[in-house]
Amino acid sequence: MKNSRKLALIASIVLLAVIGFAFIPAPKKITVKGSDTMVILAQKWAEIYMKSNPDVIVQVTGGGSGTGISALINGSTDICNSSRALKSSEMDKLKERYSSLGIEIPCAKDGITIFLSENNPVSELTIKQLGDIFSGKTRNWKAVGGPDAEIKLYGRENSSGTYVFFQEKVVKGDYAPSCQTLPGTAAVVNAVSKDIYGIGYGGAAYATGVKHCKVKKVDKSQAYLATAETIAKGQYPITRYLYMYMRNRPTGDAKKYIDWILSADGQKVVTEVGYFPVK
Amino acid sequence: MIGGLVLPLLFLAMTLQAQMKVQNDLDTVKQKVSTLNDKVAGVEERLATAESDLAKLTKIKLSGYIQAQWVNYEASNVYPGNYFMVRRARIKFTYEPINGIVFVLQPDFQPGNITIKDAYARANDPWLKTFSLWVGKFNRPNYEVEFSSSSREVPERSRVIRAIYPDERAIGAKLEVTPPKFPLKFQLAVFNGNDGIATPDANGNLVVLQNIDYDNYKDLMARLTYDFKLGKWGGLTIGAHGYYGRIKANSLTALNSDYTYKSTLENLGKSVPKQWFGVEAQFYADVLGGLSIKGEYITGVNSIPGITTSASAVTSTNVIKNDTLWMTTTLTKTSNSTPAITKSFSGWYVYLTKNIGKRNQVAVRYDWYNPNTKLAADQIGTAKYDASKTTKDPNPVKTFAGNVATVTQTDNVYTSKLNSGTSDIPYGTWTFAYSYYFTDNIKFMIAYEMPMNKKVGTVGANGNGNVVSAYTVNGVTSAYDYSNVIKQNVLTVRMQVKF
Repeated sequence: MKNSRKLALIASIVLLAVIGFAFIPAPKKITVKGSDTMVILAQKWAEIYMKSNPDVIVQVTGGGSGTGISALINGSTDICNSSRALKSSEMDKLKERYSSLGIEIPCAKDGITIFLSENNPVSELTIKQLGDIFSGKTRNWKAVGGPDAEIKLYGRENSSGTYVFFQEKVVKGDYAPSCQTLPGTAAVVNAVSKDIYGIGYGGAAYATGVKHCKVKKVDKSQAYLATAETIAKGQYPITRYLYMYMRNRPTGDAKKYIDWILSADGQKVVTEVGYFPVK
Repeated sequence: MIGGLVLPLLFLAMTLQAQMKVQNDLDTVKQKVSTLNDKVAGVEERLATAESDLAKLTKIKLSGYIQAQWVNYEASNVYPGNYFMVRRARIKFTYEPINGIVFVLQPDFQPGNITIKDAYARANDPWLKTFSLWVGKFNRPNYEVEFSSSSREVPERSRVIRAIYPDERAIGAKLEVTPPKFPLKFQLAVFNGNDGIATPDANGNLVVLQNIDYDNYKDLMARLTYDFKLGKWGGLTIGAHGYYGRIKANSLTALNSDYTYKSTLENLGKSVPKQWFGVEAQFYADVLGGLSIKGEYITGVNSIPGITTSASAVTSTNVIKNDTLWMTTTLTKTSNSTPAITKSFSGWYVYLTKNIGKRNQVAVRYDWYNPNTKLAADQIGTAKYDASKTTKDPNPVKTFAGNVATVTQTDNVYTSKLNSGTSDIPYGTWTFAYSYYFTDNIKFMIAYEMPMNKKVGTVGANGNGNVVSAYTVNGVTSAYDYSNVIKQNVLTVRMQVKF
C-alpha cells in the first residue's frame, strides 16, 4: 500500500514536471539558408531583429541560392534566400511535395557589379563586351581598350544565384572554361584586388579594394555605375531583385520577421549593407 | 718561431674545416630542399590528377528510392490475401558530361526481377534554352504518368492511366519545348506503341515485347500545358494531350465497340486505331498550407489486336459397307480467331490533396474508368460476336479398286467469336491516403483503396447474373457475380526511403 502511494507520488511529480516543462516557452527558431550574395544582409537583419526580439533565434547560413532552394524543398530551412527567381523545375518539386507554388517575397534590389583591379585602366564595358569576355570570346584586354594582357576571369560556383543570373543576362551561353569559380562574392573581390588583369562580378555589398566598372547597354548608350540612384531609375543595366522564398504563406514568428524586413527599419538595413530597398 | 707559424696554420686549417662543414651543410640543405621540391611537385601532380578525376565524378549523380509495403486484399480471389512486398527499388544514374547533354539510366531491382525503367539521352539546346531532344525509354507525356510514384499522394495511378499507359514508359523520341520566359510546355513524342502491351506472337501466345516493336506503325503523342499565376489565390495549370496511334491486327475480322461486325481486314498486316484525347487541370492554393485539386479527363478509342491460330489434322476411318471397304481420309483445317476489337472508352480522376505543416499530407482521389462506353450495363455479358462455322468438303475425291473405296476429303472448322464480359466493366475507385514525412528522405503512407465495379449483366430466373468470373483458391472454386458490387478493397501500409 505504502509502495503504491510512493509510486503515485513519484508519478505525479514526474507528470507535473513534464507538464511544467511543456509550458516553458521554447526559444522560437527561424532558419534562413541560401544566397551567398545575401548572407551579410540576412545576418545583419537577423542580428538586429534578435536584439529587439530576444525570444526569437534567427539562424542564417549561406551556400548559394540553389542550395537554399534545395533546403526549402527538402524542409530543412524555413526561409530560402535567393538572388534569382525559382526555376520551373524547382517550382514543380514544391508542387509535388507541398501542393504549393511557394511564396516569393522580393526583399531588396541589387546591381551586379563588375569588379576590376584598381590599377586596370579600363573603366567601362558594354553588356556585349562583358558577355564576350566571360564566355571566352574576348581573351585580351587590348580588345576592350586595355593593355596587351590576358584577361583573368573570376566568377561564382554554379550553385550561386548570381552565377545563374549573370549567365542569363550577360554571358548568354556557357562561361569560359578558364573562369575560376570561387565560393562567394567576397572571394571574387579578394581575387580581383590581387590581380591587375582580373575581372569578376558579384553583389555590390562586397565591393571594397577593387574598382567598380561602369556598364552600358550598348556601345552608344551612357555607362553607369551601380548606385542607389541608377538602380532605382533603372539606368544600370544589370539589376535584379533579391528574394526570400517560403513554402507557404508566412505565419506566426516567420511572418513577424518578414514584415519587419519589409518595414522601413528592415529596408534601412538593406541600404546600410550596400543594396537597394524595394520600397 | 715554429710556434708562431703553427698557430696561424692551425687557425687557417680550422677555418677551412669550418667553411667546408658549412659548405657541406649548405649542400645537404640544398639537396633536401630539392628533394622536398620534387616531392611537392609530385604531390601537386597527384592532386591535379585527383582533382581531374573528382571533377569527372561530380558529373555523375545518383538518386533512388525504395518502397516496401504491406498490402491486405479484401478480395476473396486473391491468395495470399496479405503480404509484404518491395514495390520499388530503383537507382537512377544521371551523367552530364557537358552542360546540357544528359544520360539517364534507371534500373528497378525488384526481388527476382531486374528491369530497366529509364534509359535515355537528352540534349538541351544551348542557344535558346528552349528545346530538348530525348531518345530512348522514358515516361510518356501525361500528367499522372510523369508524376513520380515517390511523390504521389496515393499508392497507385488511376485505373484509366494504368489501362492506356501500361508500364508508364515507352521507347521512342521526344521533342520538348519549354521557353524560359513563357509558362508553357509542349511535348511531341513518337513511340513504338506496344510498350507494356501484351501482343500475340507467331504461335498466338501473348507476350510483352521489351525492346522491339510489334509492328511497323509508330504512335504519336503530344501534350501542351500552360501555367497561370492567380496572385493570392495560387496557381493553375491547364493542359491537353492527345495520342494518335495504330496497332497491327492479328485477325481478319474487326469489331465495333458494341461487338458488332465492323470490317474484314485485307491481311494480318492491317491495323486498328488507338486514338484518344485528354484535358487536365491542376490548381494550387495556399489555405493554411498547401492545397491542390488536380484532375484529368480522357476519352477515345483503344484497340485489342486479336489472335488467330490455325492447325491441320488428318484422321482416317475404315468401314466395311456392302462388302466394300471404305477407307476415308479427312484433312481437318481449323482456324481459331479472336477478332480485333476497337473499344470506345472514357476515364477521369480528381485528387484533393492537403498538406498540414511540412510533414503531413492527406489525399482523397476518385477515379472512374469505363473501358467500353458503347455498352450499357445490361448489355455486358449479352453483346457478342460469333461467326464460327464448320464446312464439310462438298466434293470428296472417291476412287475404287475392286471392293476397296478410297475417300479423301478436306473439312474446314472456323471459329471466330468474342464475348463481352469482365473486360467491359466500368470501375469507380475511392482512395484515401495519409502520408507522414518523417524526414525528407523517409515517408510513411497508409492508404485505403475502394474499387467499386458497376453492377452489370442481366440476372436470370435463378438469381444469378450472366457476367461471372470463376476463381480457385486452395482448391475451392468460386465465382464473382458482377451483378453485385464485389468487395475488393485494398489496404496499403508503405515505407519509402528516398535519396
